Amino acid sequence: MYYYLYDSRLAEKKYGSTVAKIETRLTDLGINGKINHLSFLKNIQQVVGEELKRGVKTIVIVGDDKTFGQVINLIADFNVVVGFIPVEGKNDIARLLGIPEGEKACDVLSSRIIKKMDLGEINGYYFFTSLEVINHQVALECDNSYFINSEKKELAIKIANLDCYQEAPTQPDDNKLDIFLTGPKSTFFWKKNTDPPTHLKAKNIRITSFKSTPILLNDDGRIIKTPATITISHKKIKVIVGKNRLF
Amino acid sequence: MFKENQPAGETETVIGPSVKVEGDFVTEGNVVVQGTVCGTIKTSKDLKIGSKSKIFADVSAENALVAGEIQGNIRIGSRLELTSTAKVFGDVKTETLIMANGAILNGKCQMGNVKERSSRPDFTKQAKIDLKPQTTEELTENSNEENKKKKK
Repeated sequence: MYYYLYDSRLAEKKYGSTVAKIETRLTDLGINGKINHLSFLKNIQQVVGEELKRGVKTIVIVGDDKTFGQVINLIADFNVVVGFIPVEGKNDIARLLGIPEGEKACDVLSSRIIKKMDLGEINGYYFFTSLEVINHQVALECDNSYFINSEKKELAIKIANLDCYQEAPTQPDDNKLDIFLTGPKSTFFWKKNTDPPTHLKAKNIRITSFKSTPILLNDDGRIIKTPATITISHKKIKVIVGKNRLF
Repeated sequence: MFKENQPAGETETVIGPSVKVEGDFVTEGNVVVQGTVCGTIKTSKDLKIGSKSKIFADVSAENALVAGEIQGNIRIGSRLELTSTAKVFGDVKTETLIMANGAILNGKCQMGNVKERSSRPDFTKQAKIDLKPQTTEELTENSNEENKKKKK
């Protein structure tokens, strides 16, 4: 049994035809189910909990990366299969999972290739893709055994569970987080930064800084401030992926 | 062992030139170091140390290609290659060592497998030879005794 969670913006008129096409295709494939629109007024965790009691085994998120990021945090505690139908907007997660936009995603959904994937956790908040440190004067402590410091002041830091960094996708099922550190971009356009990026893997990362530094979660654009502890959660999520997935 | 242009998927860990790692760095994949490391580096696969890197650590790996400076002991499972820019200040233990012209190695070096060493013969079981010069009287006495024994 399928349960569909729609992004609140899909109620707008301009998405009417796209939503109609998706629903028609879902009916054709025989995987249609109950639909619920996300909104601030609804307690999604409670709603999902009730639906699971009724026998729902697959929750399908219809929206973009932000919708996926929001819903992942709400359903991480439940043992369900998660599907995704991307609809216009920022859809990097769908690209990594090999899911095409719109009604074509319904075919991926019906083929049900299920992968068990890791979930990252930052200060008790789950994330599926990656996070970035915006102000870069921070120190990283990895696996309680070594520290990473920058010799230059500005380094771009990215910590990823599932991401595609410089055309190399990370593995979301290796039980490790990928850390990428890149040097500052040159202020002169003709001077290119030729330094190779630092790439490490760790299970447990602690970010500290003298000043409170914002950390941006790429899933839903949420900002969390340092000090922060980032770990691989013991919870895994089962996600329906496409054949063209990047990992 | 090491290719110039390694595909991105093959190398698991890269420590870039502007990064300093401090502590016990233990991994199970290939490692490329181009920055600074203080503490310990341990990997069960290959290790490549770039020409501008500085390592103040004990190093342990299966194979290693060193082009930078290492201050610490190196323990390599099979093959250690020091390029012309390599500087090693510490003891080395490896199966095979390749050193380019210009490489610096200051420390004890142990190569090959210790089991391959041929065993020393046991000299203690050999009869002791008395090398004292004998007098003519002693020689005649000895020969008489031998003749008597033969007659009997």
